[in-house]
Amino acid sequence: MTAQTLAPAGTSTEVPAGAGRPPRFNWARARETSANQLFLVPVALVFVVLLVVPLTQTFYWSFTDFTGYSADVNFVGLSNYRKVLTDPSMLAGLGFTLAFTIGTALLITTFAIPLAVVLNKKFFGRNFVRSVFFFPAIPSIAILGLVWGYILSPLGSGVLNSVLETLFHAGPYPWLSDDTLARLSVIVVAVWGGTGWHSMLYLAYLQSIPADYYEVATIDGASARQQFFHITLPLLTPAVVISNFLLMTGGLKVFDLPYTLTKGGPGFATYTITQSIITSGVAQGRYGLASALATLFAFAVGLVAVAQLWVSRRIERRVL
Amino acid sequence: MTKRRTLAALAAIALALPLAACGGSGGSGGSNSGKLTFFSWDGEDTMKPVIAKFEQENPGIKVEFSNAPPVPEYISTLQSRILSGTAADVFAIAAENKTNLINGKHVVDLRDKPYLKNVPKFNQTTYSGPDGAVYGLSVASWGAGVLYNKDLLAKVGATTIPQTWDEFLALCHKLKDAGVTPYLESVQGMSTPLAAFLGAENQTTGDTMDKKIFDGSAKFKDYWVEPLTQWSRLWTEGLVTRSAVGLTGDQVRQEFVTGKAAMMIAGPWDIPGIRKAAPKLKIEMAPVPGIAGGKPYLAGAASPGYAINSKAKNPEAADKFLAFLATPEAMAIYQKATGAITVTSDFQPTIDPALSPIVKDVRAGNVYLPQIAWKRAEDILNVEATAQLQLLVQGKATPEQVANALDTKLASTS
Repeated sequence: MTAQTLAPAGTSTEVPAGAGRPPRFNWARARETSANQLFLVPVALVFVVLLVVPLTQTFYWSFTDFTGYSADVNFVGLSNYRKVLTDPSMLAGLGFTLAFTIGTALLITTFAIPLAVVLNKKFFGRNFVRSVFFFPAIPSIAILGLVWGYILSPLGSGVLNSVLETLFHAGPYPWLSDDTLARLSVIVVAVWGGTGWHSMLYLAYLQSIPADYYEVATIDGASARQQFFHITLPLLTPAVVISNFLLMTGGLKVFDLPYTLTKGGPGFATYTITQSIITSGVAQGRYGLASALATLFAFAVGLVAVAQLWVSRRIERRVL
Repeated sequence: MTKRRTLAALAAIALALPLAACGGSGGSGGSNSGKLTFFSWDGEDTMKPVIAKFEQENPGIKVEFSNAPPVPEYISTLQSRILSGTAADVFAIAAENKTNLINGKHVVDLRDKPYLKNVPKFNQTTYSGPDGAVYGLSVASWGAGVLYNKDLLAKVGATTIPQTWDEFLALCHKLKDAGVTPYLESVQGMSTPLAAFLGAENQTTGDTMDKKIFDGSAKFKDYWVEPLTQWSRLWTEGLVTRSAVGLTGDQVRQEFVTGKAAMMIAGPWDIPGIRKAAPKLKIEMAPVPGIAGGKPYLAGAASPGYAINSKAKNPEAADKFLAFLATPEAMAIYQKATGAITVTSDFQPTIDPALSPIVKDVRAGNVYLPQIAWKRAEDILNVEATAQLQLLVQGKATPEQVANALDTKLASTS
């Protein structure tokens, strides 16, 4: 929103008398604009202090042998970057990080949209049901990880294994002890935790779709399925863009859920890039190396985000 | 208009204030001669009575206490405080940060201090530098071994604790045949039996095993393959489910207290929780039985030590505080709060009877933990070792492959 649209009529927007002369500098408008822009200062400060400064420092440290204990560092050129790209354990988490990101983005989107459509209908206890689905977004993911650790315990006494044994005489299954099952379990828990939150996002967009469209479609004889695919889904495209942008960036940075569920194991099966950055930086005092990995990773995430936005905008433009 | 601008400016300042507050987060600060700052990894409940007694005996000194839970939170908080010059006068030096603290000259040499006189050589050596200087006052040690449910053992006629690994595995077979889960351990870190096997082997080599590995005259595969092979018999002989690779320490303890597992890996910290959850359980802890040629041994290490900041604002008070912490009086309060196996020679700790078989060895320093004995790249090797051990349990790596992976990792860090 610009200052002009905020300006009261009769002051800044009127054409001054004596048109033809170069317009005089409008002090009143400038004062108004500067007063409004003052409100941006705190946000800008927060942005600079919490984002720009640390990012710049990380970039600087990536060229040094910084250990985290002394600011007295030596410049080591590109050796940290060389090490990151040649040491397989530094990139051990790349595969699962990508699988987690794509898996959660696809599954959450697939489940959240139909859920939002259902939650948008009128039925008894609707608000309660909405709260239940939103609940997993409230506690910290780390706590959810610990709770799910008990549910998915690979022993026969684990909650899920006990249920399967009682109902189907099946199992016990090594949910967190087998590479594939552990990866799937982490993704499933993330989907369980994220679907409710994202469905609320879709719900907000759904509520802005005019009811007239559906009324007209019903009169024209469109089925519920046709209405969903030809009205609801296209008009939800902006929400899909935002939701997937958040899911992709959040997924690439994931740390807390896999760490609390499996600590990255078994082996390196659920190891993530962020875990690698934290382990090498904090635990091993190799901040220089961790900074190089973080810089490369931030750059890669940025590229993915920009590419995703570009593709999404094109789809949005074609659909809407 | 002026009013509006003033209002905007005020709002901006108000919103920016929390930021300013963040920037100025305190540490020691000030040159108050009667104030001593102390950053601990023990909680306030544990340290408060000790501090109260110290303040009572030293009326001129007021201790400003802060703490962070171990391990990553403590390490990173101390790290940022040291970097910003706001670290406390006294803080804990641990296995995880000792190399950085000593190499960065952030801690004071205590070797000539009279209060080290009652501390065993083992605890002093753990926090000493290459020049023989001692940088931490470590007043306790811990040892981990096998905890036995004696009732379940009695069910299969076992009345004595196994002394050899073969006897231990035979007992596992008996328990399994009787329908009891014989043994469980969490493999989300260094394995306790493996550490114990290596500790026994290290002792037979005159404490030279790791020295040789790190000076290049030997390799991990020279010492590790046989202990790894013996340890993996738990899985290759089908005694323990390979699913145990995904278990946490809490889940293992839960199986033990509910009487589902007869034996588990435990340390002194497990005992209070087990006593509370299952007061009637007959338990006993013992060193890990020895493999061929080795005697029963414990995994373990010296507990974190108290260190004096080399830039302490009040070094005299810090010195007094450390001297107090080593007294029998302070030990008694600390030991009561933690149940720790304290090691100072002039104080005899009162320990849970279940730990009796290990107390002597722990106090004598007959314990071993690879990641503490390693000379460098400790955490890098530990992360690699943990992942490789998990692959071994899953049957996806052989003992030779695990040892080779550690040799490769060590070579990559030089």
